[in-house]
Amino acid sequence: MDCEESLPLLSDYHAGELDESARDGVRDHLGCCPPCDGIYHDVETIVVSASSLREEEGISFPDENAIWQRMQFN
Amino acid sequence: MSAAETNEADAAETKPKVTDFELAQQSAAGDRDAFEQLYHRHFRRVYALCLRMTSNPSTAEDLTQEVFIHLFNKIGSFRGDSAFTTWLHRMTVNHVLMYFRKSSTRSELLTMEGETPVQIVRGTENQAKMPIVDRIALEKAISELPPGYRSVFILHDVEGYEHEEIGRMLGTSTGTSKSQLHKARLKLRDLIRRQAAEN
Repeated sequence: MDCEESLPLLSDYHAGELDESARDGVRDHLGCCPPCDGIYHDVETIVVSASSLREEEGISFPDENAIWQRMQFN
Repeated sequence: MSAAETNEADAAETKPKVTDFELAQQSAAGDRDAFEQLYHRHFRRVYALCLRMTSNPSTAEDLTQEVFIHLFNKIGSFRGDSAFTTWLHRMTVNHVLMYFRKSSTRSELLTMEGETPVQIVRGTENQAKMPIVDRIALEKAISELPPGYRSVFILHDVEGYEHEEIGRMLGTSTGTSKSQLHKARLKLRDLIRRQAAEN
């Protein structure tokens, strides 16, 4: 497997959703291709970092009382 | 604190909290105070979700307001089959997706093909591995994603939806959702690396 074949498969590889043949092909390619291995590492980093965004810490919330007052219910 | 006040405080602590389902039922029966309790209980969660999906505080505020007005009108349809938070989360996601549909063409929302090609030029990029991405850098990069990519990335990698469900919400196939997620991640990688190079 070369770079062009492995690149579109990196997310599926990360999710463990490739069949055995494709999985082995990607794994072998990453083992001998530092640029693609770097891209895979970055994808992993982004996925891990994304999960932290669910936390509400750091969000500047607007005044919920003011918004409640503005709401018009029929 | 007097003995009476202490007893009152103790009673308040031991009194079971009114559940979301009970508040929803009371709201459906016309109890505005019950709905206001639900609003305050869930405001931050709804706003945070709208903000993650839009990356725009003003839009998130407007959408939050709309979500709660929609909730008020639909509260009677909550049967308690799922957790109220799950039900409201899904309602909020659908409302934001509807906003995207209204404010962009369907092709922009769903395909993005050709609009923001993800190009990886071999041999020209810094091969140093990306360090842990801080929240601000990631949020900035997400805000620069086209809406279609952003929706799939937020729904899958942040909110934890499965591709099948995302496909149903966006009216597209599971394969398209997977493909868009991968392209969104590569685009984010590109944006984050550009940010790092500029700083």
